[in-house]
Amino acid sequence: MQGILPYILRRLLWAPLILIAVSFIAFTVARYGPGDPISVAMGQYRDPEALARVRHEKGLDKPLLDQYRIYIWNVLHGDLGESFRFGARPVSEIIFPKMWVSAQLGLVALIITFGVGIPVGILAALKQGSWMDPASISTFLFFQSVPVLVTVPVMLLVFVLKLHWLPTGGWEGIFSKHIVIPALALSLPGVAGVARLMRATTLDVLKEDYVRTARAKGLREFTVVSQHVARNALLPMTTIIGISLVTLLEGAFFTETLLGIPGIGRLAFESVTSRDYDVILGLTLVLASAFIVANIVIDIAYTFIDPRVRYQRSAVI
Amino acid sequence: MNRLTGFVLAVVVVLVLAIGAISAVVIVRGGGEETEQQAQPTKAATAEGGGETGGGAAGQLRLPGSDPITLDPALATDAASATYIVEIFGGLVTIDPKLNIVADIASELPTRENGGIVNNPDGTVTYTFHLRDNVVFHNTSRLVTASDFKYSMERALNPRTASTVAEAYLGDIVGARDMVRGRADEVRGIEVMDDFTLKLTIDAPKPYFLAKLTYPTAFVVDRQQVEANPRNWSRKPNGTGPYKMREWRLGEQITLEANERYHLGKPSVKTVTFLLAGGSVLTMYENNEIDVAGVSVNDIDRVLDPTSNLNAEYVTGDDLSISYIGFNTEVEPFNDPKVRQAFAHAVDREKIAEVVLKDMLPVAQGVIMSGLPGHNPQSAALSFDPELARQLLKESKYGGPDGLPTVTITEVGGGANVGFDTQAMVEMWKENLGVEVEIEQTEAATFFEDLDTGRLHMFVTGWIMDYPDPEDILDIHFYSQSRLNNTRYSNPELDALLEQARTEQDVNRRLSLYQQAEQIVIEEAVWVPLYNGRDHALVKPYVKGFEFPPMVIPHLRHVTIEQ
Amino acid sequence: MAEAEAAAETLDEVTLGARRSPLGLAFRRLLRKRIAVLALAFIAVFYFCGLFAPVVAPRSYTAQDLDNVLQGPSLAHPLGTDRLGRDMLSRVIWASRTTVIVTLATLVTGGLVLSVSLGLLAGYMGGKVDTAIMRVGDVFFALPGLPMLILINATLKPRVVEQAWIKNLEDWLRVDGLPDYILIFGALSLFAWVGGARIIRSQILALRETEYVVAARAMGASAWRVIFRHLLPNVSNIIIVGLSASLGAIAGTEIALTWFGVGIQPPTPSFGAMLYDGGSIRTLQANPHLLLVPGAVVATLIFAFNLLGDALTDVLTPRAR
Repeated sequence: MQGILPYILRRLLWAPLILIAVSFIAFTVARYGPGDPISVAMGQYRDPEALARVRHEKGLDKPLLDQYRIYIWNVLHGDLGESFRFGARPVSEIIFPKMWVSAQLGLVALIITFGVGIPVGILAALKQGSWMDPASISTFLFFQSVPVLVTVPVMLLVFVLKLHWLPTGGWEGIFSKHIVIPALALSLPGVAGVARLMRATTLDVLKEDYVRTARAKGLREFTVVSQHVARNALLPMTTIIGISLVTLLEGAFFTETLLGIPGIGRLAFESVTSRDYDVILGLTLVLASAFIVANIVIDIAYTFIDPRVRYQRSAVI
Repeated sequence: MNRLTGFVLAVVVVLVLAIGAISAVVIVRGGGEETEQQAQPTKAATAEGGGETGGGAAGQLRLPGSDPITLDPALATDAASATYIVEIFGGLVTIDPKLNIVADIASELPTRENGGIVNNPDGTVTYTFHLRDNVVFHNTSRLVTASDFKYSMERALNPRTASTVAEAYLGDIVGARDMVRGRADEVRGIEVMDDFTLKLTIDAPKPYFLAKLTYPTAFVVDRQQVEANPRNWSRKPNGTGPYKMREWRLGEQITLEANERYHLGKPSVKTVTFLLAGGSVLTMYENNEIDVAGVSVNDIDRVLDPTSNLNAEYVTGDDLSISYIGFNTEVEPFNDPKVRQAFAHAVDREKIAEVVLKDMLPVAQGVIMSGLPGHNPQSAALSFDPELARQLLKESKYGGPDGLPTVTITEVGGGANVGFDTQAMVEMWKENLGVEVEIEQTEAATFFEDLDTGRLHMFVTGWIMDYPDPEDILDIHFYSQSRLNNTRYSNPELDALLEQARTEQDVNRRLSLYQQAEQIVIEEAVWVPLYNGRDHALVKPYVKGFEFPPMVIPHLRHVTIEQ
Repeated sequence: MAEAEAAAETLDEVTLGARRSPLGLAFRRLLRKRIAVLALAFIAVFYFCGLFAPVVAPRSYTAQDLDNVLQGPSLAHPLGTDRLGRDMLSRVIWASRTTVIVTLATLVTGGLVLSVSLGLLAGYMGGKVDTAIMRVGDVFFALPGLPMLILINATLKPRVVEQAWIKNLEDWLRVDGLPDYILIFGALSLFAWVGGARIIRSQILALRETEYVVAARAMGASAWRVIFRHLLPNVSNIIIVGLSASLGAIAGTEIALTWFGVGIQPPTPSFGAMLYDGGSIRTLQANPHLLLVPGAVVATLIFAFNLLGDALTDVLTPRAR
């Protein structure tokens, strides 16, 4: 592994540059084009003169680069700015609690995805050849295909309106009934992928020699198989987990909106439509950092999966 | 997003308190207020589970609501923020549920008869307010004095406060415009005579001035609190209103608690909780998680059904808002009145109201809506007459549909659908006039900028009355130099009527002037008035006195809960 | 080592001038799986309807009938009518056209052109080119896609729409709402290419070191030859699998964007719009067909893409057999 550490370091060094590029792009795109947070918040009583005065007061009429410079300067001092949409609260105060909610939801969804996907995949492999194999995978593939926009209303109709089992939405923390519908909606689509991976890994393991050896030695086949399956599945699984975690951090907009969950996905949309610049930028920066780290981790994981990719050569950065 | 869809969404999944919700419905319907537009997509989902504590338990009222943009009265411009502000804060005067202007912190309304309104020789008018001597701030028990008012108003006008509407509502006061532009650091027209006497001098006799004072910009704030914590004071504001803020959990709920020492009488309901998370409000209502809910187009049939148990709880009331189609009278082809009239005559608004809106909104017959002083029951908007429409188009300078340039109708769209009523109208123009109108749906920010810069041809939007006076709609939108004249209409005859009405002291003559102005607007088809606002809601039987006032005014203190 | 075997197979066939292409073989294997055939058939029908919507749809998608709104299925309207009395069947067919256009366009630009070319370039050239491409990819990967897309659509679209040449193109192609499409698939491609490029790149990196490529280079083969004869055929499997998986994702994203109001504009029908309209739980209760009809079609389409992708993976990746 002698190439790994310098590789990680090199990737980490790139991170600030990438963040600057990301923030600059987001900054520019947000400000280009019509609309700004003052005019949006202004309400129906529109007075162009008053608008101009207030924009000036808030520094929104300065040249773009100046505004960007000021923003970055503040960020480096830990000030992510203020929200226009939410009563001038500091951006960090708005983003982090919502991110925490999305993360909690994401975590539960992840647990369900793997909790269901792993056994299903193994089952499918063990029953290869019978109808249960394609049937199980296909069922979950179907869940992956139905858009969230359809599953959530249907679940609401069934579980809330008809059966009265669950509340209509909102958020009361990770251990309340409120988490059932969103967690299901978010987790079921992912099961198919996990199941397929486990199935493939299990099939491979079942074919290997050590299974016969184990049998010959009188070892419990189950123990041997599960050990090997676990080992082989670990790396690709890590990749999936890595990507999923970050995606879930990004928040699931539809689920959050349809169910009234105060998460980051909904915040992203609201801040875009209200041109809440600082919130948009704050979100972008935080999410981008998460993505960059996840990216590096995934790339490193790839090298373990496929050792033919050499890191010593300067080719790979 | 168009009225209907927004309406459907808003009413279905509305979180805004009944009044705010209703207003939002109409706003969304008319595409008027951007901030409500944004609130739109988030209003999809529902409730906070807190409902299990049961409805009306121990004087607790649970209402749908949405996050305010701000709780600073000097900055508030949207209905959601105003909903809370009018309960937490107070001003010299306020509006009662019957839309009369009444005294709030002032002990009585100044009138000419009691010497409260005096015309000065230089043309200005001075209002003298005597304040009550028992109004205290919620958390500090400090008495409210005249200098608190001077401070609050000057603060609103101070450019550093960055209020976009201070000039609109306080600008008539002498010296206010100077302050807003940074040319003065106090407002000469606001004079503190003693602790409980305040004089406001305005630049000309304007009958609508008292009405403007009912708007939050003129409310009083606690100087000590503001100066101690300029950035964050409004998160837990120290006001003088019937309710005080107990808690604000962003995106979840706002809890208000009764102000025991409220000078107009202690409110009966001790705690009011606004559930902000969104979702299907009606489902929450049926689940007993909330006490009031808006009713949407999808549910109205169920609710109107006399055999349904929801029917007894159904409440409806008109509100002072309107949605309309506006034409940009400076661009082709709408600079020709005949074209505008043709378009107006080609849509069957009644049919759309019946089929698409399920008659939930009354068809507007004019600009001054029912309930507003000056409403003319005889007024009739241009009727549905396809023959006449085609005729007019032929008589226009384009000679018929083929001569027209491409026409686009624009409206605010927050979701995937242009309001169905707009789509229906576009289809009607195709069938009845032979004109293909393109639909452009933009989000609020873009829409308003394009509107301001005159880039649009036709647009669908709305207007909610800020104070109950026709000046707030006719003058503001149709006076040729008004900054809000989004149709860019200029008619000297109309201007003259409006100018006269501004200072006409005789009430009846004044209203008649506005009615004449309204007629011109209708006949010239500057607007095609579409629908007026109407609220539809369900209120739990144990909630009494829950009014749906036509505007955002304080009303929670009139509610009682029966056990 | 399976990739190397497949690579060797290809090399043999190329050098021996064999006529049978591995892709043709794979295709035949695919056809033997019944599910794959069904999926393929559905996709074909869908795309056919989409491309020939003006001919296939019984009615226009704007023809409204205010006397017959919100009807359930009937003889005149097999899938019912919507709020304005428009025929749901026709709207669904026209909506599939929207999906077809967007998926094809995005695929070609983002999925194919950008991913493959950049991945190849990065993998083959290595060094600074590789770094540059990958870091740019990092930037796009790190940008939160959906908010950016919404922003771009909100801020750039009004300005794009104004361009006269776009209007002319719109008339010439007889496609309504062309600027919407261009913006969407342009923007989508910007964010869509990174993942694919990365996978292709790592494949190329691996293949680059195999003996036959080294040998080819040593023998003086030009870069183009190496790429086209040796590298590209070996990543073609991955490309195909990736493409079919992406199609589902792209359709989903278009729906999401339209749902947000930044995608296809009405009155051009799209599934996102229909799902939005039918999606509120009260509407679902009162008029289930508004959600379920487009929902079922979309779900089936994406399901078909997924099944196809699954089958293709089975068929093209020797290991999984």
